[in-house]
Amino acid sequence: MIRVALTMLRGDSSKFIGLVVGIAFASFLVAFASAFFAGFMTRGFSLISENPEADVWVMDPAVQSVEQTVNLPSSALSRVRSVAGVVWAAPMALGKADARFANGSIQSFDVIGVDDITLAGAPAASATVTEGLRLPQAAIVDAGGTEGKLQTPVSTADQWPQDGPHLDAPTRELRAGDELLLNNHRVRIVGHSHTLPRFPPRPLLYMSLANADRILPPGRHRITFVLVSAAKGVDPQNLAQRIHDQTGLRARSTEDFKTDTVRWYLVNSEDVGDMGAMMSLAASVGFGVTAVMLFMFTTDHLRQYAVIKAMGATTRQIVLMVFAQASAVAVLGTGIGMGVCVVVGTIAARGGYPFRLMWFAPAAGGLMVAIISVLAALISVRPAVRLEPGVVFSSR
Amino acid sequence: MSPVAVACRGVEKTFGTGAAATQALRGIDLDVAYGELLMLVGPSGSGKTTLVSVIAALLPQDRGDCLVLGQDLRAMGKKDRALFRGRSMGFVFQAFNLLPALDATENVSLPLIIAGQRRRDAQKVAADLLDLVGLGGRAHARPRELSGGQQQRVAIARALVHKPKLILCDEPTSNLDHDSGQAIMDLLIHTARAPDRAVVVVTHDPRIFGFADRLARIEDGRIVRTDSPRPAPAPGGQA
Ligand SMILES: Nc1ncnc2c1ncn2[C@@H]1O[C@H](COP(=O)(O)OP(=O)(O)OP(=O)(O)O)[C@@H](O)[C@H]1O
Ligand SMILES: [Mg+2]
Repeated sequence: MIRVALTMLRGDSSKFIGLVVGIAFASFLVAFASAFFAGFMTRGFSLISENPEADVWVMDPAVQSVEQTVNLPSSALSRVRSVAGVVWAAPMALGKADARFANGSIQSFDVIGVDDITLAGAPAASATVTEGLRLPQAAIVDAGGTEGKLQTPVSTADQWPQDGPHLDAPTRELRAGDELLLNNHRVRIVGHSHTLPRFPPRPLLYMSLANADRILPPGRHRITFVLVSAAKGVDPQNLAQRIHDQTGLRARSTEDFKTDTVRWYLVNSEDVGDMGAMMSLAASVGFGVTAVMLFMFTTDHLRQYAVIKAMGATTRQIVLMVFAQASAVAVLGTGIGMGVCVVVGTIAARGGYPFRLMWFAPAAGGLMVAIISVLAALISVRPAVRLEPGVVFSSR
Repeated sequence: MSPVAVACRGVEKTFGTGAAATQALRGIDLDVAYGELLMLVGPSGSGKTTLVSVIAALLPQDRGDCLVLGQDLRAMGKKDRALFRGRSMGFVFQAFNLLPALDATENVSLPLIIAGQRRRDAQKVAADLLDLVGLGGRAHARPRELSGGQQQRVAIARALVHKPKLILCDEPTSNLDHDSGQAIMDLLIHTARAPDRAVVVVTHDPRIFGFADRLARIEDGRIVRTDSPRPAPAPGGQA
């Protein structure tokens, strides 16, 4: 019976192809959106990922994600260091600052201040570049996933003009030796780094904590996070708990902090919500069209179902046939959709787009297809089951 | 085994209600014996299709009884009725009603598949039947690749494949030209008619009346006459 149903399905090739393409399109959208979301979220916790030597992150009890910058009292550092199981603890400062380029243009930067002594948290760059951070006013610049935002004028005539900004002057990429003005403090670029791109994308300036302290607006405290390395054999989660118990600060293992950050984005980020809404709209259109097409497929074949019923098929057999058709279309469509997703995703990832195919992307696509196919089959099966097989006698 | 394959008594059927009501059957009494080919003839709208539908238990009558192969199908549950129909009846339709996606063999094997037989066995039996109706060479043709007459041959093979005790044909020749119609009736006579089987053929085509063992004339929902198609060479005279 299943075979007959599948032959019927294949026999009506235009509808069959339409159904498969519909499912493939919708499942592709869902999987692709999920993978894109995973990619964005991965970029959302780039700061955590690029500091793998930190096992535990310590922060203000109110901080929920790496995006929030509430500062800690400077005593936090020594309090954390005194907890058993902590090998080393380094401070890190996060802040935002508007920088003025030599031609007078303004660009917002994330400033990351790293430990003066160990430079823990500094981006991977050549040793001389990193060591350069120890100089006064020094900073390493990083595109942080942006493009064309680090442009400084080519000609010295356009640099630091007295007659107002020269925004249209020809520009080149910022490089070592160039200077920026942050909050009226001169900053000298000592080099470039290429760390993980950020979500949302924005250019970064790494500098020593001491330099950051001078440049960022004056505040009572200048430490946002304390990065902690756990002793060998000490479980980061246990250590985090212990730090929390002893200092009253929030302490999270690296993995937990990533999870916190994703959760925070989900709850707080309007971008993520908008993106989700757009994708779900597109996916529901795809799925809706597919469901209607499956329904039409069944109603177009009612006469054939009537013949089959007249020849003694039970309701169970009819239901089995409709569900077999729905499942075949679902499996085939999902397979194609996922395949296209992997191919397009790989290309997108190579092109620098945030695309990360994690287990839940195909799972989400598959689940949506499963739900919609069952629904479509349920509404399609009704006319076939209720059908009076007597119509077979009518001539056509 | 009951002596007759079909026994209808006082069968009535009305479609619709009130002013729009059409009384399609107005008290039908009809017996069909095993071994005979009964032709149900009459003008358009006289109730032929309605009567066959009632006999096939595809349509419930309003009043009267219809015993089919000794069973009152109305007393059965929906599922048992479907199973009984699948086991005991074969159908040939005016519109052929083959499944367009299936080839000839698959179409013929369908009643066996529905009854739960294994595909391979069913197809073997189906292939034999196709040979019998003269289509052995077109076993894998799809319906649209066959002429009307060939399609009806496939339909006849399908009606016979599960060895049913009752075969119901509604206007089997009216979509065919004269020669094909004659050939189809010839085929029905030679393959379908059997001592332990009854065949009912609905038609209003007088050119095939000669194939019947008995003609039942239906007019306006009543059987008005039952006779043999060729008047017996009557020495004594017959009214
Ligand atoms: N489903 C239905 N609903 C309403 N009226 C119907 C229905 N089926 C048949 N009728 C009416 O019942 C009467 C008998 O119809 P039926 O189809 O049995 O005639 P028929 O003898 O088979 O005619 P034909 O030779 O044209 O096939 C007709 O008046 C027809 O209009
Ligand atoms: Mg009719």
